[in-house]
Amino acid sequence: MFNSSPITSWEGAEAIFTYADSPLGMAVCFWIMTAMLIVPLAVSYKAEEKAEIDHQ
Amino acid sequence: MTPEEMQAAIEALQGLSNTNLEIFYYWCTAIMILIHAGFLMYEMGASRVKHSLASGTKNILAFAFMIPTFYMFGWLIYLSMWQGFTYDPVWGEFGLPMSAIMGPNMADQATGVFWGAFTLFACTTASILSGAVIERIRMASFVVLAVILGSVVWNLAASWGWHPAGWLVTEFGYHDAVASGVVHTISGFFALGVLINLGPRIGKFNTDGSANVIRGHSLPMTITGLMLIVVGFFGFIGACVLYNYGTNGGWVNIYGGPTTLSAYLFNTLMAVAGGIIGCYACTRDPFWMMSGALCGVISAAAGLDLWYPPLAFAIAFAGGFLGPWAAKQIEKMGIDDAVGAVAVHGVCGVWGLLAVGIFLGGYPGFSSWDGFEVPPINMTGQVVGAAVMIATGFIPGYVLSWIFNKLGILRAGDGVQRDGMDNELEGIAYPEEIRSR
Repeated sequence: MFNSSPITSWEGAEAIFTYADSPLGMAVCFWIMTAMLIVPLAVSYKAEEKAEIDHQ
Repeated sequence: MTPEEMQAAIEALQGLSNTNLEIFYYWCTAIMILIHAGFLMYEMGASRVKHSLASGTKNILAFAFMIPTFYMFGWLIYLSMWQGFTYDPVWGEFGLPMSAIMGPNMADQATGVFWGAFTLFACTTASILSGAVIERIRMASFVVLAVILGSVVWNLAASWGWHPAGWLVTEFGYHDAVASGVVHTISGFFALGVLINLGPRIGKFNTDGSANVIRGHSLPMTITGLMLIVVGFFGFIGACVLYNYGTNGGWVNIYGGPTTLSAYLFNTLMAVAGGIIGCYACTRDPFWMMSGALCGVISAAAGLDLWYPPLAFAIAFAGGFLGPWAAKQIEKMGIDDAVGAVAVHGVCGVWGLLAVGIFLGGYPGFSSWDGFEVPPINMTGQVVGAAVMIATGFIPGYVLSWIFNKLGILRAGDGVQRDGMDNELEGIAYPEEIRSR
C-alpha cells in the first residue's frame, strides 16, 4: 500500500530501510515515534494524579 | 594457486573475520540484557511485597524508553561532543537519526551493533538510578530522569572520557577502560542528586535521625539478580574492547590502546572474587556479599586492561570494604539509598579511577585509533576525571529532581506509599496474599 522501498534493485544497494530515500518519510516516522514516547508519559502522570487522590 | 586466487582468498578471509567480529558485538549486546534481567530481580526482591511490581515495572520502562531516546539523540551526543560542549558536525553526522547508516544498510555492517552496545550501556545507567529510588518515586518522573541520565548525561561524559578523541583523554591522559567513571560514577552521583530531593521512604528514619532497616521481600531473588548482573557484565566488558581499529592491530581498548581479551577475563574474574570476599569479610551480610561483586568489578574496571590479576583482586577487595562503609555514611547523612547504589557505583567508581592513578601511573601514551595522541596515565588526569564525573552526574540529577519536586511530581504521596505503589498498576505480585512485615 505504501511504496516505501528506497531501492529498485539489490544490485549495489546500500541503505535499504523504509523511506531511506525520503527525508519526509523518515521525518514522519521519527515524529510519530516521538509522540508515542510522550503520550504514554502524559497518561502515566494523569494516572498517578488520580492514584494520589484515591489513596489520600 | 595463482597470486590472484591467493589475493581473493585473503579478501574472503578478511570478510569472514569482520563478520565474526560483528557477531562478537552482537552477542555481547545480547548478554548485556542480562544486566537488566538482574537489576529487575534485584530491585523487585529488595522491595516490599506491596511495591514489588512497581519496582519491576519502573525498571523495565526505563529500559524501553532508553532504546528509542538513545536512537534519537544519545548516540549523536556520544559521537559528537568529544570537545566539551561543542558539537562536531563531522562525527555527529554518523549519529543523526536520519543518517543512512542508522538503519539496515548493506554497506555498513557495524553501526547497528555498536549503537546497540552503547544503548545497553545507557540502560545500565538507568538501572543504577532505578534501584536507589524504589518504593517512593513517581513512575513518569523516574522515566524522564532515567532518559536524561541514560540518553544525555552519561554519553556526554563518555564522549569526554571514553572516546579516542575525548578532551579528558587527549589533554589529561584520563584512563577508564571499562567505565568506572563514565558509567558508574556518573550514575551513582546522579542518583545521589535525585535522592536528596526525593527524600526517604516512610519509616526509614526515626525522629532522632537513627535509621531503620527496611527489608525487601525476597533476599534470594535479590542475590540471584545480582549474580545475573555479574553474568551480564561479561557482555558489557566484551563490548568495551575493539578490534583492528587503527595502527595497533589486534584487540584495543576503547581508546585504541593495545590490549587483549585475556587481560579482561583475568582481571574481571579476580575483581568479582575480591569484591565478594571483601564485602563478606566486613559485613557477613548476604545482600552485601553479593553486592560485593559489583563493588569489586566497578573498583577494578578503569584499569581492567592493565592490572596484574592479584592487584585487581586487592583493589576489588578494598572496594568490597569501601562499598558498605560508604553506604553507612550516606545513611548517617539522612539519605535513603534503598540498594546502596551511590556507594556501590558512585563511591567505588571514584575509587576505581583513583586506583588507576595510584597504581598505573607511567604507562606510556599512544596514538588513539582516531589519530590523537594520548598522554601517559597519571594521577592528575584521574583526579580531574573523577571530579568531572562527580559533577557531571550530580548537578543534573540534583537540579532536575529539584524542579520536579517543586512541581510536585517527584515523590508519591504518603497514602500511595502506605497502600503500596503496586496499587497504581493492574496486577498483583503474589495473589496468595504473602504479606510484608
